[in-house]
Amino acid sequence: MRLPREDLFHLIEPFLGEVERPSRYLNHEWGAVEEQDGPFHACMMYPDVYDVGVPNLGLAILYDELNRLDGVSCERAYLPWVDLSARMREHHIPLLSLETASPVASFDLVGITLAHELVCTNLIEVLDLAGITLRAAERDEDEPIVIAGGPSVWNCEPVAPLFDAVLLGDGEGAVSQMVLAVREGRAEGLSREGILRRLARLDGVYVPSFYEVVVDDSSTRWGYAVPREGTGAPEVVYKHCVDALSATEPVAQRIVPYLPVVQDRLTIEVLRGCARGCRFCQAGMTYRPVRERPSEQVLEAVERGLATSGYDECCLSSLSTTDHSQCATMLRALHDSLASKGVRISIPSQRLDSFGVDMASVARSSRKAGLTFAPEAGSQRLRDVINKNVTDENMDAAARNAFENGYRRMKLYFMMGLPTETDADLRGIAAMSERVVGIGREVCGARSKVSVSISVAVFVPKSHTPFQWAGQLPLEETVRRQRVMLEAASDRALRISYHDAQTSLIEGALSKMGRRGFDLVLAAWRRGCRFDAWTDQFDFEAWKQAATDIGVDLEDVACECFDLEAHLPWDHTSPGVSKGYLQREWRKAMEGRTTADCTMTSCTGCGVCSVLGTHNDIAGRRS
Amino acid sequence: MSAENELARRLRVCYGKDGRLAYLGHLEVMGTIMRSVRRCGLPFEVSNGFAHRMRIQFSQALPVGASSSAEYYDLMLPCEVNADEALEALRRCTPAALAPKRAALLPRRMPALEAWANRASWLVLLPCAADDAGKIAEAIDGVRARGVISFMRGDKPRRIELGRTLVACELRSEGSSLTMLLETRSTEQGSLRPAVLVQEVCGRQPRSVCRVGQWHEEDDGTLTSPL
Repeated sequence: MRLPREDLFHLIEPFLGEVERPSRYLNHEWGAVEEQDGPFHACMMYPDVYDVGVPNLGLAILYDELNRLDGVSCERAYLPWVDLSARMREHHIPLLSLETASPVASFDLVGITLAHELVCTNLIEVLDLAGITLRAAERDEDEPIVIAGGPSVWNCEPVAPLFDAVLLGDGEGAVSQMVLAVREGRAEGLSREGILRRLARLDGVYVPSFYEVVVDDSSTRWGYAVPREGTGAPEVVYKHCVDALSATEPVAQRIVPYLPVVQDRLTIEVLRGCARGCRFCQAGMTYRPVRERPSEQVLEAVERGLATSGYDECCLSSLSTTDHSQCATMLRALHDSLASKGVRISIPSQRLDSFGVDMASVARSSRKAGLTFAPEAGSQRLRDVINKNVTDENMDAAARNAFENGYRRMKLYFMMGLPTETDADLRGIAAMSERVVGIGREVCGARSKVSVSISVAVFVPKSHTPFQWAGQLPLEETVRRQRVMLEAASDRALRISYHDAQTSLIEGALSKMGRRGFDLVLAAWRRGCRFDAWTDQFDFEAWKQAATDIGVDLEDVACECFDLEAHLPWDHTSPGVSKGYLQREWRKAMEGRTTADCTMTSCTGCGVCSVLGTHNDIAGRRS
Repeated sequence: MSAENELARRLRVCYGKDGRLAYLGHLEVMGTIMRSVRRCGLPFEVSNGFAHRMRIQFSQALPVGASSSAEYYDLMLPCEVNADEALEALRRCTPAALAPKRAALLPRRMPALEAWANRASWLVLLPCAADDAGKIAEAIDGVRARGVISFMRGDKPRRIELGRTLVACELRSEGSSLTMLLETRSTEQGSLRPAVLVQEVCGRQPRSVCRVGQWHEEDDGTLTSPL
């Protein structure tokens, strides 16, 4: 049922003195859009707490774009932490937007970010708390149109029943088209289905209810989706793609939160897409082609963004910032203009083979505490399998460069459970890390406090990657391999941490399942699961019971390998990378053969440019 | 004392904390004001330490949920500025509920603001009716006679001596409501939060708390205004 639009802040205010971090719920931040006159009202929602959701650049881009549209107002909403949501449920207070404290269920359109698999139960929680009918197919005519988008849309089947439509790919431009289609449809008195038909005609828009799941001999047990007859929906929905990043607003993040948030800084996206071709990396496949923002636009954006926000740190964000063809020039220019103002420039992580002397010295002068590299695997053989394309020499050179430039701490990211992995590869992680410690001592002195932290994640096979057919490691085997690695690492300067194997198992199961995965998510939510990405809230037992409720075994689901020729549950949504390319990459991986980066050599045939009619857009020259 | 320290390179700003922003914690207020300073383009000194922080001092932390009409911060300047122009620039770039009200230039060398402003006045709306004034006054007398309040902050037991920290307390009836005018002093042992006293005498939290003034108390008991 559509709720009336009214300011209900007075209903939650009495609880603000009792809950953790009340500043999550206040609104009125610097940069928030206060005028919300509509008449069309959209609400963009991040299904986690405010401090996790506010830094999300995607949501900031959409908020900015929609509030610029004539006759459209856009607000934000986040999931209240468990202390406030319990009080809201007890007092029958619905989920409210931030700007006007109106019920989320009073909006014309609600957009939700699909950030990762572990927000699945939160998606149900936000809709339930809002009082919006969970299943799109059962919603009343006047209820909000609920859409989704974000990095985790590439197997959205386990949550697809919640959404009227899902936007695949870049949000710029597409979200406005969706809002206008809904607004016009409402104005014309179209039925809900009529509006969905309009949406399904838009570039990059997938309408789950227009597809039915078929399970047959050609598919996995989760089946594949085909368009329902008479809907006119395409067999494959390709993503919406912005051709030039330079055509988008570089300072999208305008809201300055009061409380310290996860990434409390100005973020300027300098580059979208990555063509390095790491075979485990979903973002590397789904954000193609590579589009760079020219350095002059970045420099202007940093200056403007810092002046209007007051931040004292700016992050040059992307999947691989040091790959930007003008990265060193940008860093030098920013260092020259900002060093005296107490402003830090940060880059999310550095590629081993593109971390030059220039970058090390500039990054050091911004007083960053440590450097982060991601070799991902401990042996050259396995790095070739995953197409990481970095060598031991690259690692050694990057480490030496960093230590010579004054760094004492380094963090290395690895993965465990990659296809073809052996115990020798795991021992290689320890060996490589100890070699880095040794270089540190050689450069900085034997008594220097050099420390190297290793973070080892469990490999989760993701859709639309060359490893999408692989199975995940069983829990017991994960624990055994962790032990192998731990026993091989003896240097006390090494600090080793693991990702929790149980949360990875849930992530893996939800990455494999098709639409039937919704039964699992719903059962888990009914058993009290929410905030699964929060260690203190995650309840593995409840997930196991939920799996039993629907008659599946989590390990059995996550560890299953798929046939290379099988129809997959996500084949009807495409980022433009062809399945043939992914199959070729899988075969090359099994042979230990690598594939080059097409921004530095020639086309490698992934299919994105031809399918989407686009191309790499490089500002300078990459080498 | 060097001539450098005598220069008027300390901008003292009085600001309020009002409305929803009463729920901001002290660190959140500090962060918001530092960003406001950066936004308005005022010059400021930066520390030479590891983190290159802005040189700025704040008066004592206000409890979460309490509003105020008399908060202060001192911004250290690398050069002299016009105080009125600085105030106007800060107003433009600060959220309305934390808006600066007054500003003045002071000598660079002064005691730290947080320790210096050791006296405060509070206006507290009690969670009881005007008819309960006699009962509450009796309870206050009882607490003062005991001289100490023991309470929990989170899961930690705390204790505050009233002899030095509670200077004066007066009840006023306004229509059907009952308000308390409270004078407190902060000491090295701690400072009395109005909500702690109200919880002790009323058994409930106050409806609202507002800090209405801060001063420095000289040895002879004279009060000096921060501006």
